[in-house]
Amino acid sequence: MIPVRLLGDPTIGIDRANEHIPPNHCTWAKNLLEQAINGFEADIKGVITTHGCDCTNREFDIWLECVDLEFFYFLNAPLKRNEAALKFFIDDIKELINQLEEKFNVNITSAKISKAIKKMNQIRNQLRQISEYRSNMILKGSDFHSLVKKIQQMDKNKALKMIESTLQDLKTHKPQSDKKLKKILLMGSVIDDTEFIRFLESLGFHIIIDDLCIGTKYFWENVAETEEPIKALAKYHLNKPIYSTKFPSYKRFEIVKDLAKQFNVDGVINIAQKFCEPILYDHPYFSKKFKELGIPYIFVEMEYNRESYKQLTTRFEAFKEII
Amino acid sequence: MSADKKTGKMLNATNKLKNEMGRHFLAIEQAYRDGKPTAWATAGTPVEFLYTMDVQPMLPENSATISAALKKSQDFIELAETEGFSYDLCSYFKTNVGAVLSNADMSVGGTRKPTFMLSSDVICDTHVNWFQVQAERFNVPHFTIDVPHVVSNTTNRQREYFKKYIIEQLWELLDFIKEVTGNEYNKEKAQEIAINSYEMGKIWQDVFELRKNIPCPVSTRDTFGGLFPLFTMTGLKSPIKLYKRMYSEAKQRVENGIGALEQEEYRLMFEGIPFWYNLRFFSNLERWNAIIVYEPYVYAFTKYTNPNITKEMVIKNPVESMAELVLSFWYIYDLKTRVKMFKETVKDWKIDGVILHDNLSCRPNACGMYDLKRKLMEEADIPSLVITSDMNDPRKMNETQVLNQIESFIEILRERKKR
Repeated sequence: MIPVRLLGDPTIGIDRANEHIPPNHCTWAKNLLEQAINGFEADIKGVITTHGCDCTNREFDIWLECVDLEFFYFLNAPLKRNEAALKFFIDDIKELINQLEEKFNVNITSAKISKAIKKMNQIRNQLRQISEYRSNMILKGSDFHSLVKKIQQMDKNKALKMIESTLQDLKTHKPQSDKKLKKILLMGSVIDDTEFIRFLESLGFHIIIDDLCIGTKYFWENVAETEEPIKALAKYHLNKPIYSTKFPSYKRFEIVKDLAKQFNVDGVINIAQKFCEPILYDHPYFSKKFKELGIPYIFVEMEYNRESYKQLTTRFEAFKEII
Repeated sequence: MSADKKTGKMLNATNKLKNEMGRHFLAIEQAYRDGKPTAWATAGTPVEFLYTMDVQPMLPENSATISAALKKSQDFIELAETEGFSYDLCSYFKTNVGAVLSNADMSVGGTRKPTFMLSSDVICDTHVNWFQVQAERFNVPHFTIDVPHVVSNTTNRQREYFKKYIIEQLWELLDFIKEVTGNEYNKEKAQEIAINSYEMGKIWQDVFELRKNIPCPVSTRDTFGGLFPLFTMTGLKSPIKLYKRMYSEAKQRVENGIGALEQEEYRLMFEGIPFWYNLRFFSNLERWNAIIVYEPYVYAFTKYTNPNITKEMVIKNPVESMAELVLSFWYIYDLKTRVKMFKETVKDWKIDGVILHDNLSCRPNACGMYDLKRKLMEEADIPSLVITSDMNDPRKMNETQVLNQIESFIEILRERKKR
């Protein structure tokens, strides 16, 4: 099986999803539903949704009603991060495995999981190295973003070969410096449109580091290879840099703050997709904390379509002036 | 509007509700005077365990509804927005933030700094985020109960380990309370509270059973206000007496063929949280001889809706039973179960039409509503209407538009009656 991360497509309309979901609900999630109703281009057999926000959680049942796929599983990634949550998460991962085995007549053994973990760890190791090339301006933030997206949608053997080759190529380049470019930490909701990163770059920003699920959260830490593999996977997900959808989400600030200091950024850009409640709740706290630290911070709520990017130009230009 | 104005009858017992609310707020004042521990709790959390552990609960959601009823919520909401909280976030949450920022009195929806906070994601993640915001502001401990999300294809096998996870957290909660307050868990007290909670839920369900009668003896004038103790005082004896009075009076009405509405023509269901700043809106329905005979939101908080949970189980194992109840809560039913329950309810309560409130502040409740409507209309031939508004933010209600929608909806029902 090849896991394919579902990504939005900001160029499409969402008329059919609008028949199921009210207008003030997450536009990104609606975009995914639209694609699913219309049928994915890739040969996708099933969907695994993880416990995210109120919108995506509730929309799973709508997918069951109107999306034509063979397999659906709602993975209850716990809100909390303690021992009880870990035990529960292990149970739910095991149930997922059971259901996959039953549905597709496959055998998902510990040995196979361990092998997959090793492969993914190799990918993570290499991505961390590649990410460093953003620091010395060899690699554009948009190119890196595009690469991470591709990896999340492809066969991991091919992915490994691709990033090994990318890494070798990057090693041949010399570090660059452009003082006019402002070094930015990008954070927020699911930011999956690389065009948006290019838009920021066109305004003179360089995304040197990020705290995004399609970004550092995908590769920042490895899964322990010495532990029982399901437990190791569960632990990995509970210990990785926290999302705004988990508790306590304010801990995300500590992660972002540390990254901002480590990479000596000029400013932090926090993007909420329209109606993204988890980000909207966290923003005032983040704003207050960054102000206390004297780190420039801008919060922008954005529609999930490319036409809206240009409307944000003035705000970002003003931010650039400030920093 | 073409119809004449008519007035529905409220139960006399409902007038006593103010006394119960007063009792609750006096208990809070007394707790602060006596130095007794207090806790904020979100709806859907086991308030019973707070009473068991001798902690005085306070529910900011209910306080927010008071702010709305007193036309104060908008000011509080706008104040919260000046702190950076979005226009699109929950209006209960923002009412509470504004009330705290203004140091508002309890009588207008204020809530004082508690000893600790108790939240859960059983209804929404907003509850957890809300208390995170406020626990940080007050610098008090915050415990949250993570309730696994039940979806339409959740299996019984999964429910078993879901329950195990909740039970473990409920015991952790009791340990947490002991650590914060020094108060010990006492099973006998837990059982006493559990019995009261069970009885209160059941008598409220009995009131709803009476509403199956034509004419319906009880209207929203009694139910929307009447649910206050179900949130705040569950586990106490005094509200049971009030509900028993409501039940007796309603039963008498049934026996005498008296309805809450003088002339009942259309029986409706109202899904969602009402507009607390404009409860008089519901009396508009009376102009068309329409009455709401069932509100899933109100019924949900009777808590004991799972037929597998008996009184004996509640007494024997208060913690384990609570875990099962949390998982089978009406307000958070998965879409498939929701559709099934709606169809059954429509039949049992002889409902002519369903009004669904697409509440801009409650995305979990609004999600799936369009499919619910479609299924009710296509599979059960029940006229259904979605109206868009907000539970606590008057800026988001276009009363004329909603009334026009309802008037047209009543026309549809009228035509169907002629068939």
